[in-house]
Amino acid sequence: MADRPNDIRYTKTHEWLRIDDDVATIGVTDFAVEHLGDLVFVDLPDVGLDVKAGDSVAEVESVKAVGEVYSSVTGEVIEVNEDLSDDQSSLASDPFGAGWLFKVKVSGDTADGLMDLATYEEQLANEGEPS
Amino acid sequence: MAIRTTPLHAAHAEHGARMVDFHGWDMPVQYEGILDETRRVRAHGGLFDLCHMGRLVLTGPDREALVEHVFSGNFATLKHGRAKYGFLLNDEGFPIDDVLVYREPEMVHIVINATGREADTAWVHDRQTARGFDCNVANVSDDQAMIALQGPASEHVLQPLCGGDLSALRYYGHMHAPVCGHATFMARTGYTGEDGFELFFDKAHAPEVWAALVDSGRSLEVKPIGLGARDLLRLEAGMPLYGQEINLGIDPLEAGLGFGVDFTKDDTVGIPALRARKEAGSTREAVSLAQQGGRVPRTGCPVVAGEEVVGEVTSGGVSPTVGKNIARAIVKAGSAPLGATVHIEIRGRNHPMEVVAHPFYKRAR
Repeated sequence: MADRPNDIRYTKTHEWLRIDDDVATIGVTDFAVEHLGDLVFVDLPDVGLDVKAGDSVAEVESVKAVGEVYSSVTGEVIEVNEDLSDDQSSLASDPFGAGWLFKVKVSGDTADGLMDLATYEEQLANEGEPS
Repeated sequence: MAIRTTPLHAAHAEHGARMVDFHGWDMPVQYEGILDETRRVRAHGGLFDLCHMGRLVLTGPDREALVEHVFSGNFATLKHGRAKYGFLLNDEGFPIDDVLVYREPEMVHIVINATGREADTAWVHDRQTARGFDCNVANVSDDQAMIALQGPASEHVLQPLCGGDLSALRYYGHMHAPVCGHATFMARTGYTGEDGFELFFDKAHAPEVWAALVDSGRSLEVKPIGLGARDLLRLEAGMPLYGQEINLGIDPLEAGLGFGVDFTKDDTVGIPALRARKEAGSTREAVSLAQQGGRVPRTGCPVVAGEEVVGEVTSGGVSPTVGKNIARAIVKAGSAPLGATVHIEIRGRNHPMEVVAHPFYKRAR
């Protein structure tokens, strides 16, 4: 299990969110990556796309399944992690760092229900994460 | 519906399997990862719990007449100790299931899909009753274990546990011999494109035989394999999955599986209807698609040629053996010739794939 940072927010759908000033960096958690299995493709949004909190804006695809990635903030996509188009391995090796997916310049609402680490791990325990 | 489990359920948990609901069965989808497991079977071998599959045993004087009536293939010329692939067709010539029929001197053993366990049995019973065939059709699926051992090391794994000479058993042949001392019906058949065996025996011995096979396979890199890799292995080898490549809307001719039908038979359910369509010519055909990298083709993805949607993907996946994304698709006849580039549509975007030769993988013999 990757070390989950304490200074970021987590969602019910296994994204993470780090807000620096008005820029939110969004990725998916180690739990999501582990659950998907062998990753083969990441479909990222176009830079400049306007997104609303709750929109599905990216997909992480594994051999067996496709996981949708939701933005938990409203704003404009200002950067995507181009490194992932050829090599998705950082999603598994460093999901909270080099495996980030996209950045949004926040201009509006943030989704309800963002969790701190302790609350997120409580949810994982309820979903049956092996401890 | 209550979730069903096989006699090997505890063993899967012990081996760290990830379980999924597979048509009502709690089955292992993967152990170490679908791609690694697929590579393992091609390079060494793997063990598969197939206790969820359906099996029928037909005995009694009219058993072979009943098989000839419901099975699309030519059963009459099948030798004792040999198996044959074919279909159970409905009156319209569409498959209710695809099956392997094993002919023995005193019985006929039929392997059907998990989804057909109850329905196929009822359908065969109905046909038997309608024609008054004097035989017994037993659904032995709940009593009999089914384990497959597939891959180049299979014979080396099984022989030390087996009281019969496996080297004498040819591809699609079957015999009776003890495994771990327990009476076993075994066949050199499978669903991976590799050499291997399928074992049928009293389910009371399933955990013991499974553990013995795991032990015997350990030094040969042979391990338990989940259903995810099994699906990929069969797709690479060009084998159809009932419900996807063939179903009540896609017939064997369209699917490129006409070899499983003896069109000269008149008294077999569905063959007259299928023969009429063969003479008229199919309007659709199955094609194989491949592409390096990119989105993974999935069942149901539209296939686009030029500007037109010409069909859809029936099965797709990431092939570690070929090193490409691969798919089988059913398309308008002539719309996707060999070598052409077509597109699959995912989330409103078109992704190119090349029409390639079938199958994707064939083992060297």
